Amino acid sequence: MVTRDLHAGVHETTVIERRELATGVVLVSLDAPLLAKTTCPGQYIMAIPPSGEAAATALAVYEAEGKRASLLFFITGKRTRELSELRSGDRLDVVGPLGNGFDLSEAARDVAIVAGGVGIASVLLCAQALLRNGSRVRLFYGARTAELLVDAERFAAAGCELVVTTDDGSRGERGFITDALARARRPDRIYACGPSPMLRGVAHIADRFGVRAQLSLEETFGCGIGGCWGCVVPVIASSAQAPSFPPAALGGSDVAYARVCKEGPVFWADELRW
Amino acid sequence: MVSDRPTLATKLGKLELAYPTLMGSGCYGSGEEFAPFADLSKIGAIVLKSVTRLPRLGNPTPRIVHTPAGMLNAIGLQNPGLDWYLARELHKYAQRPCKIVGSVAAFSVDDYAYVCERLAARDEIAAVELNVSCPNVAREGETFGCDPELTAAVVRAARSTTDKTLIVKLSPNVTEIAAVARAAEAAGADALAVINTVRGMAIDAETWRPRLGNLSGGLSGPAIRPIAVLAVYEVAQAVKIPIVGQGGIETLTDALEFFLAGARAVSIGTANFTDPRIPERIVAELHAYLASRNLAGIDAIVGKANVGFATPHQYEGDEG
Repeated sequence: MVTRDLHAGVHETTVIERRELATGVVLVSLDAPLLAKTTCPGQYIMAIPPSGEAAATALAVYEAEGKRASLLFFITGKRTRELSELRSGDRLDVVGPLGNGFDLSEAARDVAIVAGGVGIASVLLCAQALLRNGSRVRLFYGARTAELLVDAERFAAAGCELVVTTDDGSRGERGFITDALARARRPDRIYACGPSPMLRGVAHIADRFGVRAQLSLEETFGCGIGGCWGCVVPVIASSAQAPSFPPAALGGSDVAYARVCKEGPVFWADELRW
Repeated sequence: MVSDRPTLATKLGKLELAYPTLMGSGCYGSGEEFAPFADLSKIGAIVLKSVTRLPRLGNPTPRIVHTPAGMLNAIGLQNPGLDWYLARELHKYAQRPCKIVGSVAAFSVDDYAYVCERLAARDEIAAVELNVSCPNVAREGETFGCDPELTAAVVRAARSTTDKTLIVKLSPNVTEIAAVARAAEAAGADALAVINTVRGMAIDAETWRPRLGNLSGGLSGPAIRPIAVLAVYEVAQAVKIPIVGQGGIETLTDALEFFLAGARAVSIGTANFTDPRIPERIVAELHAYLASRNLAGIDAIVGKANVGFATPHQYEGDEG
């Protein structure tokens, strides 16, 4: 996993663009050159609420190019609603880049990226980096409806082969994206981000294919920077991403809770014990 | 006395703090996590996450639920246990530019004393907080901190192991917090942290199940601030030892409420999850506030709102 904590900080940014990509799906672009330069694929930021009236919100960095770092998110509650109301010229302070992103160090030739719904926000930088490295990239992209398959064309234009499914069949096959993945040609490596049931399915399929998968997990965050141990997932205690915890032989455990925000959000599927 | 440079220094027992701000236990990790985003030299102390005698995996997920004006947590004292902690973790905290307060949790009086003694023996640790009030690890939320006599027993046992400052963190989930406070003071506590989280629950109307893995949790954030302010106000009249006020502090105005109610220091927890710059901002604004009123230090405001309790108003002709 790739960590760049050295570059993390509080960035005082200005909104340079705000676009609604679909009903309830918003793209907010920030003037944040340092953030754009230092963010690794799969990393995220904590957006400090302009009102100060709630906990900060964890959002994946969708685009990072030049001075622009963008956040792509679904409006799901009070906190994302407040962020969706930002307009060009508004100020937004963000903490980041945070977490361990996708490990792209082993150049896999034939890669499958699996994105479910808003999970697409975590994988654009990953796809771009893989394509630059000469990997062949298939994007398996599932959403509830055709309208919610936001930015699919952008991935295609960038060079990804696109496989889409929708819950209602309004575009692509009707069904789950994991079913499409299971039927597809075996890739060398899988990267995935989406809802938990999808990620569990991806882990299962990866196991059957005999390939390693990296999953970007979502969990309710408290602090988002490793201080509260609120967002955890059970991992093999001897794995590289496990927290410092004694093994069973010393009265501890062979499975320990790692922080999704700090040790993650990206984990190797075969090291999770969820 | 007129002063151009008010001091923000405060004292809790023997613990001398350059700033009257502590980072609440369990909210600030070891400090390392926040160091890239906050100037640790501008806070008084970090209260470390509680350590127990044996390793604890912690509670199942979800451990956090956001609620109106706050959040519920039920972490369950996840920690690697005292031996591992002392051997592999604590040395990392020696270089912090602020004081480090260790936190002890336990399930018996003997274990409180054992963990306290070994933790307090370490140079990295300037003081020890006794967490007698974690609401997330006991059946039906009962803790040592819910009973004055059990609290006193824990404090007496811990007191016998160290001369370092002992802070006792009180639970708000009691009928009379002042009684627990008096018991802790009489047993040898140097200071009281008021309050821990308030027990609470959130239920998912879709699944018909409690939303936390632990079912119940502890509520923190601005939602509990009035509860905490009253607790500090009550405890301040019951004891002479200093109080660390805590519960939903996000701004200078919030912190002032606690000082005026009787706290000599304040602790900031959940607010760090909104913006890690908040503690430094409060310190700067507190300095400006005192300076603008020609006040020499926080002693000038501690307990100034404390005018006792209202007596029930009686109308003429009322009986009883």
